[in-house]
Amino acid sequence: MKKVAFKTLGCRLNQYETDALASQFQDKGYELVQFDESADVYVINSCTVTHQSDHKSRNFINQANRRNKNSVLVVTGCMANNAKEELESREEINYVVENDQKTSVFSLVEAHFDGEIIHPSKLNADLFSYGATDKGFHTRSMIKIQDGCDNFCTFCIIPSVRGRAASRPIQDILTNIREVISHGAKEIVITGVNIGRYEFEGYQFDDVVEQILNLEGDFRLRISSIEPDGFGEKFLGLLNHPKMTPHLHLCLQSGSEPVLLQMRRMYTAKRFKEIVQTVRAKNPDFNITTDIIIGFPNEGEEDFSATCDAIKELNFGHVHTFKYSIRKGTRAERMLNQVDERIKTERSEILRNLSDEIKVNYRKSFIGKTQSVLVEKIEGNIANGYGEHYIPVQFTGENIEKNQFYKVKITSIEDGSDPVLKGEII
Amino acid sequence: MRSHKVIEIRNLTSSTYIIRMEKNDFTFKTGQYITLGFSGSIDRREYSIYSSENDNFLEVLIKEVENGLVSKKLKRCKTGDYLDVDGPFGHFSLEESEIGRKKFLFIATGTGISPIHSFVETHPEMDYRVLHGVRIEEEAYEKDSYPNGKYILCTSREKSGDYHGRVTDYLLKNPIPSDTVCYLCGNCHMIYEAYDILEKQGISLGPIHTEVYF
Ligand SMILES: Cc1cc2nc3c(=O)[nH]c(=O)nc-3n(C[C@H](O)[C@H](O)[C@H](O)COP(=O)(O)OP(=O)(O)OC[C@H]3O[C@@H](n4cnc5c(N)ncnc54)[C@H](O)[C@@H]3O)c2cc1C
Ligand code: SF4
Repeated sequence: MKKVAFKTLGCRLNQYETDALASQFQDKGYELVQFDESADVYVINSCTVTHQSDHKSRNFINQANRRNKNSVLVVTGCMANNAKEELESREEINYVVENDQKTSVFSLVEAHFDGEIIHPSKLNADLFSYGATDKGFHTRSMIKIQDGCDNFCTFCIIPSVRGRAASRPIQDILTNIREVISHGAKEIVITGVNIGRYEFEGYQFDDVVEQILNLEGDFRLRISSIEPDGFGEKFLGLLNHPKMTPHLHLCLQSGSEPVLLQMRRMYTAKRFKEIVQTVRAKNPDFNITTDIIIGFPNEGEEDFSATCDAIKELNFGHVHTFKYSIRKGTRAERMLNQVDERIKTERSEILRNLSDEIKVNYRKSFIGKTQSVLVEKIEGNIANGYGEHYIPVQFTGENIEKNQFYKVKITSIEDGSDPVLKGEII
Repeated sequence: MRSHKVIEIRNLTSSTYIIRMEKNDFTFKTGQYITLGFSGSIDRREYSIYSSENDNFLEVLIKEVENGLVSKKLKRCKTGDYLDVDGPFGHFSLEESEIGRKKFLFIATGTGISPIHSFVETHPEMDYRVLHGVRIEEEAYEKDSYPNGKYILCTSREKSGDYHGRVTDYLLKNPIPSDTVCYLCGNCHMIYEAYDILEKQGISLGPIHTEVYF
């Protein structure tokens, strides 16, 4: 039996796409092994969103090659689009597959073992023809509804590597979800690059969400990362639906209005705060997590303070901080007043401490409350999973099953900066 | 990406020019922008569309930026050259339902007048005024396109305009009725300051109402 190993970097969409590819390889008789084991095929689903992600992607390419020099090494994902020539010139990489041909990675590898060498550019381009993700790495079933982005935020390389915004037909999405529910999926995560801008034959994002929520079955719906523009009041209303999980990863990027304008983000910090207030007015412990870019060009002390203030005020469940790094070809690359690396590091440190503090406080507020935990991992009689608020929960019990919901009363919290909640089955 | 043939260049000042291209089957919503560069070149920039939705050509208004790469290159383009056009992009657009019913104030600095020109050429029946901030009068690009009384020129470096000072000074001195729909386009500092002033005057601005150039 041939062995395949995957490494995924970057966003949820990449995770989904890896899950779908991994399922396909397993369906066709491959054994899925860890990336640090010896395999016949290594697939690296790369990311290029920051310098750091480029660096990590390169590292994994080197590791895979060291592990088995005779393996088939496929590099796909955003770095394959952005640094195609560089990657193609590296002998150890067999195939560099751009995002829009990623669905065909399996047929490429199959053909390779049959002695046929296909150039990836000859493969079919299709953004949505991934199969089910049931044998992938996640208990949650990710469903891709959209790809690409036309927002062109001035710091962002994604529109050039993922291409123009494209939406998957609504009927395909619903059919796909019905199928995964019938196979036992308990949590559906809708994913894409800029899902709030979904548009297909008059259907907007909130229409898709509404129709998914109206499907029958014992499942809950999670929205992955979403930009604060693009959706309207109808969507905010749907957040109270019993099948909707109370969690949104809503990307703020900066709390400073001038910085947001220079980023060409399509909302103001004020609007962002209004959204959070609207959501929390109905559900005070709703988990809102976010991304922050530190040290965007022209970010002064006042701007940085505005970001810190916003973080304190909005009580985020988690803040993912990125140090701004120049991406070639973006508008921000050409901006004057790039921020000194040392200042970025100092600000990152401040922000990380701040966000760790608010994360721990937020999680502590769950002690005494109940979470509906979807179990992902069981070791002995210890079960781990995520509650509806997307906070990790651990509890003990006999005969616990994976991929089932358990009502758990939260009794304590671990120490540390990313603490797991502990509880007891009710 | 499509290739469009240049059919005319109009030089408005020593640094600012309009490129007219064949429209072919290109369609857009007034207020949107395209990215533009010479055919085959990787150097491309965003430019708002200056012409109306209904014109049978496509126009952009460009100011050559000091030390700028693309605005300088494009200035050298000639009739018959081909430019690569991608798009249209952007959400800086009018709400259909407001066009015949509301009063509009369009505020722009410099070449930020471009999408505003497209707005009013596409919907000349709109009830609107344009507030244009420039340094000197010659930057009042094609001001005769706007009917009498609809175009207010603010000049910051000389007294030749309708108002001597920046658009933000004008807004502070001439408060805007709170039922006005405002759109702002151009440089970030103006937009930031004007946004603040307008909000204090009771005007609510959504995300589609600003377009930042730099
Ligand atoms: C959505 C959008 C629409 C736009 N529409 C128009 C338009 O209709 N007409 C137009 O002339 N421009 C417009 N611009 C600006 C345009 O895209 C370019 O930035 C501009 O032409 C300069 O490009 P360049 O290659 O010559 O300069 P670059 O080589 O990119 O930049 C050189 C230097 O000039 C600075 N700079 C960039 N733009 C400006 C500017 N406008 N004024 C002063 N300094 C600047 C840069 O920060 C850099 O330091 C628009 C920008 C956006 C984002
Ligand atoms: S919305 Fe902005 S940050 Fe998000 S993918 Fe699009 S361009 Fe990038």
